[in-house]
Amino acid sequence: MNSKVWMVASLVIICLLSAFALSKVYLVTQPRIEKQKREAVNIALSQVLPQADSFKPVIPDTLWYGLDKNGNKVGIVIKVTPRGYGGTVETLVGLNMEKKVTGIRIASPAEGLHETPGLGLKSRNPDFRNQFKGKTATEIRLKRDGGTIDAISAATITSRAVTEGVRKGIEKYSKYLKP
Amino acid sequence: MIPENRPSRLKYFTSGIILENPILILMIGLCPTLATSVTAQDGLGMGIAASFVLICSNFVISLIRKIIPSSIRIPIFIIIISSFVTIIDYVLQAFEPGLYQVLGVFVPLIVVNCIILGRAEAFAYHHGIIDSILDALGKAVGFTLVIVLMGIIREFFSAGTIFGAIVTPAGFRQSPVLFMIFPPGAFLLIGILKSIVNRLNENKGK
Repeated sequence: MNSKVWMVASLVIICLLSAFALSKVYLVTQPRIEKQKREAVNIALSQVLPQADSFKPVIPDTLWYGLDKNGNKVGIVIKVTPRGYGGTVETLVGLNMEKKVTGIRIASPAEGLHETPGLGLKSRNPDFRNQFKGKTATEIRLKRDGGTIDAISAATITSRAVTEGVRKGIEKYSKYLKP
Repeated sequence: MIPENRPSRLKYFTSGIILENPILILMIGLCPTLATSVTAQDGLGMGIAASFVLICSNFVISLIRKIIPSSIRIPIFIIIISSFVTIIDYVLQAFEPGLYQVLGVFVPLIVVNCIILGRAEAFAYHHGIIDSILDALGKAVGFTLVIVLMGIIREFFSAGTIFGAIVTPAGFRQSPVLFMIFPPGAFLLIGILKSIVNRLNENKGK
């Protein structure tokens, strides 16, 4: 009997200790995690639109205005979520006032990207991403679809998802580029 | 337990690397090994993350092993291991976001790494703190070496790079052996490695 009581009691004690430790760690880390996430968003935005000094959210989590030091609009950043091979491919697109792409950034696996490692995941490499720089919506199609973007070999689905997503995003949101 | 007259403690460490390599000899922890050895860097990330949890869990379990009732030891091990995994997840996110970008996807996978539960059950539950940490270190190094080796081989054949560095001519990288990226490639490779190890062991026995 005594051993049965201890069996239950020891499990309860371990669970309580574990819950206590986890809640302490959570309280300490949560504010920092939130801060890191906000900073990560800002870093990501300035990666795709380096000309801007600050960003003003216009449509939450979808559209930002990029502003220079004097508060003048220098471009916009949009987030598009086309369907890739393993799920949505979250992509940030920076556009300058001439409707030209200033950079794109694809979310990392830690941020929820499910493309195949070694294939679709290569869409995060600069080789693929840098092809978009300086291009306008009409040029942004895969070469086999009559455009100027080289697909990643053996990862056409991801390449096409990103390419189509970027173009459709530009077409949909470029009206926000008016000063 | 093999009875021995007080073996040198360092043996607990060194045995994990070759003689009792968790993957190639004990054949545990195969799932994360197959799944995350696509590139050398992925393998290294998984190796480091799992090693950390393995060392922590072996330490805590050997510390409290005398008060754990044996009939419910497995649930207790699992609570301890999953608590460490969650703590690491939070701490990495809060303090090392750069590292989290690389390791983040692997952290939840550590829970199902049976090397950790296996070592808790087979070693830490029966041994002292220092021995358990040495055992964990040895198994961690053994696991990391194999997963990185597999990552190097698979990355070499499937992308023509090693740790992202280009090591093959452009022609090879244009049409690499994509097969090695996919699960069948991983199974084939681990079979080949296992057969090499078996052969070496056979020769040693003669």
